[in-house]
Amino acid sequence: MSRAEPVWWSGGCHCGAVRFEAALPVGVLAQACNCSMCEKVGFIHLIVPESRFRLTAGQDVLTHYRFNSGVADHLFCSICGVKSFYRPRSNPDGWSVNARCLDDAYSLEIRVEPFDGRNWEANAAALAHLSREAD
Amino acid sequence: MPELKGACHCGRLRVAFETPSLEALSLRSCQCSFCRRHGARNVTDPGGFLAIEADAGALLRYRFGRKGIDMLLCADCGTYVAAVSEIDGALYATLNVIGADLQGLTPGQAEPVSYDDETDAERQARRRAKWTPATLTEIAPTHA
Repeated sequence: MSRAEPVWWSGGCHCGAVRFEAALPVGVLAQACNCSMCEKVGFIHLIVPESRFRLTAGQDVLTHYRFNSGVADHLFCSICGVKSFYRPRSNPDGWSVNARCLDDAYSLEIRVEPFDGRNWEANAAALAHLSREAD
Repeated sequence: MPELKGACHCGRLRVAFETPSLEALSLRSCQCSFCRRHGARNVTDPGGFLAIEADAGALLRYRFGRKGIDMLLCADCGTYVAAVSEIDGALYATLNVIGADLQGLTPGQAEPVSYDDETDAERQARRRAKWTPATLTEIAPTHA
C-alpha cells in the first residue's frame, strides 16, 4: 500500500458518546490554527472531503455553536465538551477532524504545520483543496 | 495583587485570577486523556485566588476517572476553562489559561505532567497544597 493511500481511522470525544471515522493517509499534514476559537479548544485540523468522514455514534449529543460569519458549524460533545470534528468555514463541503481525538494518532504519523487563522481571509483559500473529492 | 481576566469563546463562563506571583507561574500540560483532547495548559497559585462566574445555564460539569474533580466547560461553546475540587469545605481550582484566554499572561513552554501514579490521598494533598483557592458563582436564571 502506498503511503499516500487513505485508510479509515477511528476516534472520538473523551466520554465516548461521540465516535467517528475518517479516511486519512499515513503521514498526513495537519494544521494548528491560531484563531480565537481553535486555540481555546486546542483543535488540530485534519480536513477531509465529505466522503472520507462518517459519524458512527453521538449525533444526538452534539451541541452546535456558531459565531461571527455563522458559516462554520462548531460541534462538541454536550457531555464532555470535546470537539472531535466540525464543519469548517474554509471547507463547508467537507469536515475537519481533530487530530487530538484519534484513537491511534501515533501510527498515523501526523505532521503539524501552523495555520494563521487570525488572518483567515488572506489564508483560507490555501485549504480549499483539502475537501475536494478525488476524481 | 494583579488580577487577570479571561473567558470562554462566547464569554458566558468567565474567570478573574489574582496572583501575587505572575512571573513565577509555571505552566503545565497535563497528559491525561481529557487535557490532551482539549490541548489544555494549566496554572495554579496557592497564594492567589480564582473567581469563576457562569451565566445561567452556561456551566457544563464533567467528571471522569476517579471523579474527584469537576471539569468546568462552557455549555454553549464547549471551551474547557477550569477544574475544581472541594476539599474539607473549601474550593480549589486549576485554570486552563488557553481555554480561558487569560489576558496579560503570555503562555510559554508548558511542562508535561502525569499524575497517574498518585493515590487518591496524594492527589487530594497535591491539590490542597498547589491549587488556587477559588469560588464558583452561577448566575441565577431571570424569569420574565
